[in-house]
Amino acid sequence: MNLSDLKLGSKGIIKGIAKDCSKEVHQRFLDLGFVAGAVISVHSISPLKDPVAYSIYNTIISLRKEDARMVLLEAENE
Amino acid sequence: MTTHSACDLCDLNKAADLKKLGNLSGKYDYAIALAGNPNTGKSTIFNALTGLKQHTGNWPGKTVTRAEGSFLYGDQTYRLVDLPGTYSLMSTSEDEEVARDYILFGEPDVTVVVVDAGRLERHLSLVVQIQEITTKVVVCLNLMDEAKRHGVEIDVRGLSRDLGVPVIPTSARNKEGITELLQAIDQVATGKFVAQQKNITGISGASRKAVQDIATDLLALDAQLPSVSWIAMRLIQQDSSIQAALASDTLSTTITETQVGPILAKARKYNETLGLDYSDNVAGAIFEQVSTIVKGRVQVDDNQRAFRVDRLIDRVVTSKLLGFPLMLLMLGGILWLTIIGSNYPSEALSYLLLEQLYPFLKEGAVSLNFPWWLSGFLIDGVYLATAWVIAVMLPPMAIFFPLFTLLEDFGYLPRVAFNLDRIFKGAGAHGKQALTMSMGFGCNAAGVVATRIINSPREKLIAIITNNFSLCNGRWPTQILMATIFIGALVPKYMAPTVSTLAVVGIVVLGIAFTFFTSWMLSKTMLKGESSFFTLELPPYRPPRVWQTVYTSLIDRTLIVLWRAVVFAAPAGAIIWLVCNIDVADKSIALWMIEGLNPFAVLIGLNGVILLAYIVAIPANEIVIPTILMLTAMVLGDATLGEGAGVMFEVSDGEIATILQMAGWTTLTGVNLMLFSLLHNPCSTTIYTIYKETHSVKWTTVASILPIIFGLMVCFTVTQLWHIFS
Repeated sequence: MNLSDLKLGSKGIIKGIAKDCSKEVHQRFLDLGFVAGAVISVHSISPLKDPVAYSIYNTIISLRKEDARMVLLEAENE
Repeated sequence: MTTHSACDLCDLNKAADLKKLGNLSGKYDYAIALAGNPNTGKSTIFNALTGLKQHTGNWPGKTVTRAEGSFLYGDQTYRLVDLPGTYSLMSTSEDEEVARDYILFGEPDVTVVVVDAGRLERHLSLVVQIQEITTKVVVCLNLMDEAKRHGVEIDVRGLSRDLGVPVIPTSARNKEGITELLQAIDQVATGKFVAQQKNITGISGASRKAVQDIATDLLALDAQLPSVSWIAMRLIQQDSSIQAALASDTLSTTITETQVGPILAKARKYNETLGLDYSDNVAGAIFEQVSTIVKGRVQVDDNQRAFRVDRLIDRVVTSKLLGFPLMLLMLGGILWLTIIGSNYPSEALSYLLLEQLYPFLKEGAVSLNFPWWLSGFLIDGVYLATAWVIAVMLPPMAIFFPLFTLLEDFGYLPRVAFNLDRIFKGAGAHGKQALTMSMGFGCNAAGVVATRIINSPREKLIAIITNNFSLCNGRWPTQILMATIFIGALVPKYMAPTVSTLAVVGIVVLGIAFTFFTSWMLSKTMLKGESSFFTLELPPYRPPRVWQTVYTSLIDRTLIVLWRAVVFAAPAGAIIWLVCNIDVADKSIALWMIEGLNPFAVLIGLNGVILLAYIVAIPANEIVIPTILMLTAMVLGDATLGEGAGVMFEVSDGEIATILQMAGWTTLTGVNLMLFSLLHNPCSTTIYTIYKETHSVKWTTVASILPIIFGLMVCFTVTQLWHIFS
């Protein structure tokens, strides 16, 4: 499961960044706190469905769908 | 010592010891770096300490280059360097390198890390990283008021103990905590407070050993090497600028290039075996460490009202149903207020400058026995054009920018970028271009400056080149006038206002279409490339500070743009007057040019006067219409019209219509002028600004020429079609 599958109202726990993600983007994700174990949820969805704003470490970060796919989540637990 | 007033002696007013020195450069005792995540109020702190007016806004990425200022505290002079906002020091983006290089190589006496008190889980990760480089750190816990409103309670002393450095709560917007911050800076700078070296804990097995191994090797070469474990970490991460700094004398004078070689090889090997796991490991450890600290020292009440309000606003302003209508309503409302509201001050200014001051100056020139050409050149030329630009340009900007800045301060603008990103992505551009485009409706020069918020160079260039397709304030009057005279007149009177308004809206929409089309075209040709990684932080909503906003947006945006326009308008006024009054053989230069341009102009449904007006009025779109009128009256040669060669004049819309129709203007001319006004080169102020932002003659030329090519093509096509169908 990856971040783009996360539904509004449910929480996910980050497992890591996909291996096919570029090195720069990978690091950028880490800078923003997309590290293993971080709890993430959907904050709001833009009118055209993409991008989606996520709530992580009490900040709101919006990501485009293709980037959100790079964030791997632990299997759904809620 | 100077004598003190009662207020100065009061304990509550220790900030009286602070003397803001602005950007006064020169000798200083201590250098202070200001670091922090984007949008934490760094610029507000900077302004509070230096007395400068850096533009602040509720918007990540305001400060891109380093801003510097000074202040005097006690009897020491401090130089304050505002670094670009960065999330970390691990990435290789330009902003982060600027910040990182200054902290590492600039060796500031104190690094103040500004963090958002309500978002410590992420913001403290930067503190931890900076502590790897230097021990001289002061943490400024900013936005305390907001954190309180969001139900966040922080044990500041405990936090300070955990981090091992002074932690000072502030809310810079309300000027709270600045004195305490100054005291802490002073203590660390003067060495009264010495912090212990802190290192990132919790980096696991193989990764930790790798760092230790490299660090040991480095220390063996130079025992004095500062920030050694951080340098080791960066070497493993293959940071080329650190490699270079180590090989040269920047970091250490004892280590030679040949000695570095084996260490670099070793670091590369670690990078190969550990790979990206290493970065994951380091980042994971940092966030783990921060989470532990935050859990112990911060209490959050998730159910606080303010928190829910933010989410509620977002659910509404980004909803499928209301997202776009609300956006159009707000941005359209600002434009409407600007256009309607600026009429009155514009009239007052033009009464003052054109009807009162102008004749007064003319009379003055007569009584001083100025020759006709001198008073013509100075007063009819230079003065009139400058006064005209001020009268028509100042009021709309003074209304548009503060309103726009209020939306920015509130935090709404990033949501606009969020809502529209999908469309911009389709055109190969960045969602933040939605903002620079909106800003362009006020002023293209300001829109071009605003592209600084776009980090990717490719997408930033696209935003700069296409900004001119946003119909700026200076062009609205031309559109409205043409629509009223030539399009409103085609329908029955009761429908005229609606139809002419729709015509102007149509031009605006066409401009937006050109923005997307050109963005798409550029990203397929000259600026090829995939849309880059898009992350946009949506800041919390903040109650806008009305007066500060009005003040800074007036100083920052309105006056700077106006000043640039005036600088260009004065010589243009002189040229306009000269071409009308210098005769070559039996005709003025203007007439020669108009006749020369006319055959070509007719092909594209315009006329020689219009083209000449666009050439000489390049400094400001605002003076295109008066120039056209003046030139038309001159060509007609009717002494009852206008004020004479090279003298701009003002008459009612009805009279303008009569003059233009006398000169043979038709609906086609009006329509084409509307199109050409949208699609022509940017004004010289904008061209200059594009050059300053891009530092590239090539891109400045592209940005200037491209719209005019479109304009000529569109006007030509419309004219030919018109002739076929009529």
